[in-house]
Amino acid sequence: MLLTKRLARSLWRTKLRLSAVILMVAIGIFAGIAFGAYANSVTTLYDDIYADDDTGVNLPDVFVENNLGNWNASTAETMCNEIREQWPSDELVLDKCEPRLISNGQLFSEDSDIGMVTAVWHGIDEGEVDKVWIPKHGCCSGEMAKEANEIVIDQHAAEALGIKVGDLVHISAGAGYSLDYSVVGIGFHSKHLFFTVEGELLPAQPGTLVTGYMTDEGLEALANLSAGDANLLLIDVEGTPNSQDPDVSGLTDLIEGISVIVTQTDDSPAGVYDRTGVHSVEFLRADVEGAEKSYPVISGMLAVVAGITIFLSLQRLIQSQAKEIAVLRTLGVKRMSIMPGYILAPVFIGAIGCVIGAIPGVLFGAPAMINMYEDIIGIPIINPNLPSSLVIEIIITAMVIVFLSGLRPAWQASRMQPLEVLLGQNEVRMSSRRLQKLTSKLPATFGLTIRSSVRKPIRLMLTFFAVGLSMLIFGSMMIMMDSFGEIFTGGLEERQSWDAQVFTMDNEEPIIEWAEEHGAQHELMIIFQGTPENDTRQLTAYGLENVATDTGESMYLVLLSNGDLPSPNQAVPEVLIDEGLNHFLGWEIGETHSLVFGTKTVEVKITGYTQGDFARTVYFHRADLSDILGIDATVVMLDLPEGVEPDEQLAQNSLGIATREDSLEAFETIMEQQEGIFIAIEGLGILIAIAVLFNTLVMNLAERDTELATLRVLGASNNRLGLMLFGEHLAIGLIGGILGCLFSILGTKLMLATFVSWSAYFTVTASNSSIFILIGIVVFISISLTPFGMWRIKKMDLVAKVKDLSQ
Amino acid sequence: MMRLLEMSGIKRHYDMPSGVVKALDGIDLKINEGERILLLGPSGSGKTTLLNCLAALDNPTEGEYEFNKEIVPRGHAEKMTTFRRENIGYVFQFFNLLQDLTVLENIILIQELSGGRDETRARELLTLVGLEAEVNRFPAEISGGQQQRVAIARSLAKSPNLLLGDELTGNLDSATSAKVMEVLVSACESEGITTVMVTHDENLTKYATRVVRLDSGNIISDEKV
Repeated sequence: MLLTKRLARSLWRTKLRLSAVILMVAIGIFAGIAFGAYANSVTTLYDDIYADDDTGVNLPDVFVENNLGNWNASTAETMCNEIREQWPSDELVLDKCEPRLISNGQLFSEDSDIGMVTAVWHGIDEGEVDKVWIPKHGCCSGEMAKEANEIVIDQHAAEALGIKVGDLVHISAGAGYSLDYSVVGIGFHSKHLFFTVEGELLPAQPGTLVTGYMTDEGLEALANLSAGDANLLLIDVEGTPNSQDPDVSGLTDLIEGISVIVTQTDDSPAGVYDRTGVHSVEFLRADVEGAEKSYPVISGMLAVVAGITIFLSLQRLIQSQAKEIAVLRTLGVKRMSIMPGYILAPVFIGAIGCVIGAIPGVLFGAPAMINMYEDIIGIPIINPNLPSSLVIEIIITAMVIVFLSGLRPAWQASRMQPLEVLLGQNEVRMSSRRLQKLTSKLPATFGLTIRSSVRKPIRLMLTFFAVGLSMLIFGSMMIMMDSFGEIFTGGLEERQSWDAQVFTMDNEEPIIEWAEEHGAQHELMIIFQGTPENDTRQLTAYGLENVATDTGESMYLVLLSNGDLPSPNQAVPEVLIDEGLNHFLGWEIGETHSLVFGTKTVEVKITGYTQGDFARTVYFHRADLSDILGIDATVVMLDLPEGVEPDEQLAQNSLGIATREDSLEAFETIMEQQEGIFIAIEGLGILIAIAVLFNTLVMNLAERDTELATLRVLGASNNRLGLMLFGEHLAIGLIGGILGCLFSILGTKLMLATFVSWSAYFTVTASNSSIFILIGIVVFISISLTPFGMWRIKKMDLVAKVKDLSQ
Repeated sequence: MMRLLEMSGIKRHYDMPSGVVKALDGIDLKINEGERILLLGPSGSGKTTLLNCLAALDNPTEGEYEFNKEIVPRGHAEKMTTFRRENIGYVFQFFNLLQDLTVLENIILIQELSGGRDETRARELLTLVGLEAEVNRFPAEISGGQQQRVAIARSLAKSPNLLLGDELTGNLDSATSAKVMEVLVSACESEGITTVMVTHDENLTKYATRVVRLDSGNIISDEKV
């Protein structure tokens, strides 16, 4: 007991270091709880929303989408009947097959500041599958549309545009006219929980997108279609087969079977996909999966850094107490009596850190993360969920790591040989002969500086590892922010020169006429969904007028990372594929592979890879893709002259308009929303790196007291010693900085590599400025400790030191 | 012989919780160039405090201290360091060689810190102390006696006016002590360096030209040998 008390008092003398270690544990626990609560609450939320019961929306498991127009009522009904009759799965049981009509369009606001808003309208027939979610919550109200002139507006849009139940909205769906609808409800839909234009990665700017849910008759009237027309079949099976493991859950076989049935029934190019093919569902799932994967990593990483710091501090403590331990051992104290204190110390430190981290984590961290999610995604988390088991799990993980950190020092303390210590032999060490040879030509001062820097290689390596982990926290944020522009906007600023993308379905003439009337340059593009042959996963085919990399050659340039640009009009169409396709399918340049577009299978030859595509993408020359699909365009890109903006005429003849301005604003908004947390995480990384480096350098300085005192007694000036320390800190900073930088870059790449999926692939690249900053920060922290070292030397009581040197 | 230093009325008192401890209580000491002085006395007699005051490591509470007819700085760490750098060599009981440097580099380091690297001189000094064969060894690779000889060579590296030694044979056996002292005497004679050594060992008086005995902070005898 007294021995433990003695150790506690020794530790108390290093209050600053002790506080830093406690803080690290606390931050790890705080971050773990905050991220864990977020992951848990959001998972519960999605499970509740998608549930196949009265309270949930009954999210379908398989979707059959007509990529080129609509099926008439009879065809849609026949397809559902054929699917029912020829149901191609033994393991999965069909519950429902329901046709649905979806159309792009516009909302026209009387408010001139809002003007036209791009829209997506859903015409809901039976409404048993993929229902609108109107929870009993302040966010939402009203009921489903029952009459043809009624509509439910998505909560995201209703809030942004100030639409309420009882309002009238004036809308169109590309039929050349517009109609008024009465708002009867405000709610959410599974396809638009992540509220963005299909395929975009950023939430739409408030007021730039509206989605609405009406009866099928209502949408047929708006889009000038016949009764029963549909372009989507929603297929729900009993239970919820796992779409992340479709081979095991039977979804792969089911989708292949349904594809065959659909092809036999109708020759429209239809895509069959599972939930992973629904952008919003998959994006939100990937987001939760990211949070679930990251919170143990973040907590664990911080606990490891704390563990290393505790380990190094305890080792130093044992070193400084070697003589006391030797005396105790000489007096007959047992090894097992020495150990407990050194084991209990980290446990005690960890426990304090856990308490300090857990309380604010539960009270503030978790609610703050959930609020941030609600702000960004715009869905209310009705039942925030932070199970106590999660908090306990995080605390236990941290405690195990800090406990382990004390084992080796405790063992070392108990195994100390008293005679060796009392004769001072434990402090005798042999310097590296190789290092001596390498530095022998340098001035002795430099040689000493370099050799002192690497005197304790294990401590140094552990320190660099801990600094590397800290810099990973900082660096991953910085490197990701470097790459965010490319990831989120697809190089919109650098490689795309269009002002507006006007969507159509092979009805581009009115849009081209509008462009010519208004002096706008235009370029046609085809965007079409397909799949690799014998694969159910969706990819997007782009048909570009000119597949090019140089400014001025196209309004939509590609970023070629490897290979050559494809040539048009080849016997086997030449294409570029994105790096993600190469990653997931192993498709290589020069190879020929087959793609499936509805009922058509086409062979393509790969000539190169593109970079910066979040979704899986194939780039064709438009002429080639047009020949395959039999359509000219699905998008008209417009380069608008100054003062010209899309108007109602253009909107009525289109299936939606996306503007460059809105996309860039969305990116800026998300960056502004996230800026605070980015800066906080970056600051956290730097603070931890400071604590780790400070701990090691202070220990190094303390160990060099004898050496420095000797030099001072022998007449070395403070400035010369300061220069030596500066050199040593610079060397440690440079080595640590370079290793930390490598660690950050490789760690970030490795970390993100575990998060990528078919529908969300991205790579990050560290810019030169990031590399410079990463190295610079560690160097700066390291050399900033030189004045502290000099202050220590200046404060050194030489008389006392000489007394020590002579005893 | 020329006067090297003069101390008069040097006192060094420490305020302790138990009262004032008079480590030195009025020391008058004159040392001429070339002398080899041995400071003898029981523990607590003030030997090491006197050595520290001579080295300008410690600030006397009272008294005058002139070195080469100039007042030795007091209360200013950097000026005291400069004084030591320009005038004093110091040999410790536990050698205190830098473990990361070779024998030769330990000497060169002190030259560099004093402003002038001279490898030839460093090698000459190692020859002088009989360690020319060990120049590239690390301290941990040579014996205690050899380490102390390196420490002596190191303290001579900047040609000090006064070499101070604190129990410099205290950690060595008698045969090694004798060898070290012979080396020291020979080196200091050839370099013309004055030495003051603190010791408990009466056997070392044969290496001195003068023996000063202290007790309770006072000089109780001062005899030429």
